[in-house]
Amino acid sequence: MTAATAPRRLAARPFAARLLVIAILLVIWEIAARWFVDPLFLAPPSKVALGIGSVFATKGVPAAVGVTLLEVSAAFAIAVAAGLAVGLTLGLNDFSRRSFMPMVLLLYGLPQITILPLFVLYFGIGPASKIAFGVTHGTFPIIVTVVAGVQNIKPILLVSARAMGAGPWQTFRHVIFPHMIPSFFTGMRLGMTGVLLGVLLAELYVSTAGIGYFTTLFTQNFDPTRLLGLVGTLAAMAIVLNAMVRRLEVRFARWRDPRG
Amino acid sequence: MGANDTAIRIRNVSHRFGEEGEARSVHALLDTSFDIAQGELLCLIGPSGCGKSTLLNVIGGLVAPTTGTVEVLGKKVAGPMPRDIAFVFQENALFPWNTVRENVDLGMRFQGVARAERAARAERALAAVGLSEFADHYPAQLSGGMRQRAALARALSLQTGILLMDEPFGALDEQTRMILGEDLSVLLAATRKTIVFVTHSLGEAVFLADRVAVFSARPGTIKKVIAVDEPHPRKPEFATSAKFTALRNELYALLHDEIRKTVSAEGARADQLGTLTPGALS
Amino acid sequence: MSPVRRRGPGRIGVRAVQLGVPVALLAIWYLATTRWGVSRILLPNPVAVAQALGHVLATGEFVADLRVTLTELAIAFAISATSGIAVGYLVSRTSFRIRAFEPLLAAIYSVPLILFLPIYVLWFGLGPPSKIALGATISFFPVVLATVAGFGNVDRMMVTAARSMGASDLQLFRFVLLPAAFPVIIAGARLGFTVALLSIIGSETLASLAGLGHKIVELSEGMEMPRMFAYIAFVVAIAAILNIAVSRLEAWGRRP
Repeated sequence: MTAATAPRRLAARPFAARLLVIAILLVIWEIAARWFVDPLFLAPPSKVALGIGSVFATKGVPAAVGVTLLEVSAAFAIAVAAGLAVGLTLGLNDFSRRSFMPMVLLLYGLPQITILPLFVLYFGIGPASKIAFGVTHGTFPIIVTVVAGVQNIKPILLVSARAMGAGPWQTFRHVIFPHMIPSFFTGMRLGMTGVLLGVLLAELYVSTAGIGYFTTLFTQNFDPTRLLGLVGTLAAMAIVLNAMVRRLEVRFARWRDPRG
Repeated sequence: MGANDTAIRIRNVSHRFGEEGEARSVHALLDTSFDIAQGELLCLIGPSGCGKSTLLNVIGGLVAPTTGTVEVLGKKVAGPMPRDIAFVFQENALFPWNTVRENVDLGMRFQGVARAERAARAERALAAVGLSEFADHYPAQLSGGMRQRAALARALSLQTGILLMDEPFGALDEQTRMILGEDLSVLLAATRKTIVFVTHSLGEAVFLADRVAVFSARPGTIKKVIAVDEPHPRKPEFATSAKFTALRNELYALLHDEIRKTVSAEGARADQLGTLTPGALS
Repeated sequence: MSPVRRRGPGRIGVRAVQLGVPVALLAIWYLATTRWGVSRILLPNPVAVAQALGHVLATGEFVADLRVTLTELAIAFAISATSGIAVGYLVSRTSFRIRAFEPLLAAIYSVPLILFLPIYVLWFGLGPPSKIALGATISFFPVVLATVAGFGNVDRMMVTAARSMGASDLQLFRFVLLPAAFPVIIAGARLGFTVALLSIIGSETLASLAGLGHKIVELSEGMEMPRMFAYIAFVVAIAAILNIAVSRLEAWGRRP
């Protein structure tokens, strides 16, 4: 996904081509919004960018965005802790794994969106329901990847440790745990995606407070400038969070044999 | 040298995987009794599935045999004996997330060596195999031959009296095998360990061993033992000598029929199974 | 080392847990609402839920909402599948295009695209079009990414061999590229279908006037707990049925 090929012309680099396409799309958007589409529905990117300030000047928006960020952080922390704990338990204990893994996979496959109204009913319209919904979305990928990371270990490594006299704790600490780490970080990346989805779904659902209130407000007021600004801010937040976790993943997968 | 001291005493060892009468049970090793002298390098050679690796694992305490006992240095084997026995496996058993040095250190940690001593022992072991320069590399960065040197260093650092090696050069190309074989011979002449070495290679067996135990086809046992009367360390010239060729030919004659038997047995079973699946026949 | 046989008691124990846990949960649910005084406003009696479900199915009152949801799903998926495969094919034609655009598409997909919903509601209102738009948008990506991967990874040797025998572009596509890429594309389409279903139910939950997702919200606002739970079970079942159907289709499509 990187480097230039032999021709040095700027247009020949994939990176440049990407930028070019994005630029073209932005121009089309700008033109369409300025001269062709009713301003009630679409605002040009220039206006949206300049209008970010007014979005945040709107009373309650900064708080809502901040709360959302906190909800994501809290949900992520809980999901990681729970996912790791459950994943290790299932991965290390054969009986537990065989008993409970099918249940875990079944729950993972359920359309959780159907119980979003229940979550809000039970946990209220405040951060609790958003965090809870984020946790349920983010925990499962982590459980699955941690279990895989523990199960995937090449038997020869365990035999070798045993032959050298490693006890159960030593084997876990020096063999199983380091082996599982890259899978765990992959799980965290997937978990972050899940947490973001869960929290945002819950936020958008609750239209009386938080982000959901403002998206509803801007929509009903036909204020595309502010709506796009808010949505753009949230998208940016998601991109940054995903990128952070991805970098962690890359860093901790360094020893991975490229042949697998 | 105390050639009369028996390091390993194998008595009536046989092994069956799975339960008697089960569809998937496999008789891996027939009743085998054998003595291995201290300081001796014994090669186990035979066709696929003849039980040589199984015997090695039984000696090392990784597998409890269905019948029989093994005594190592006078002690009955009931499980791994990390202070007396070290393994070198064919497949890369180094921990990929650790550097070579960390791998060597970890082995000693498992054994229970004190921290102060581990660094010095690691340095000596790495120097002995010629990997001092690469001590801080990760296994993925090394060639197959270097990885096996590292595995050997790890085993040497444990300072056990016995070394069990299960086709350690099996995954390497011919040239690397040659070099490693010569280096191994030099190394082992210096350390005087008792070594049991499983291999498929006739030349390797003759070059390295004091005695070569030839296995019959599965379910196998030791069919014949050939002595190689040549002092250690073996010189490269030995490999081209007439004596070497004669011994190698003798091995070939002994093995050829057993190998044929194994291959046709595999073919018959494949017909039964309908398809050849990897690993189904091993 | 030695192959370990699954000893009998282990297997039985596993089965016991797998059956026992759901039964125990069901029992706890029942007791909680009948004996232990958990408020029926929050948690309905499982018997009442079963009755409500029976009623819903018998009277066929689910039909209207089901029809809305399935229609939205069908249209959204039709759009995303065709455009996804078309765009994916075009991108896969040169390795430059793949290197340039595949990361871009993957990056967009990694953003929670549910954020587009308010925009679509602004443009299309609360009716089906906004759901279709969102469903199509989100499910476009698994399809296009799988198509790029499928067509892009066709073994060059096969293409070279076909060309050397004089295959035209159309023949190359029909007899080499398409069969080779087909399993990957089908897998991507299946994922796209699942994602489309979830997106549509999700957007119905968030902002809609009809459809199964909306129905559940309506019932929760009216605090009609037994019927709400019944509909949740119904939707989960529908999703499961659709997924199984699509899996079967995928398996059939991948037959050798």
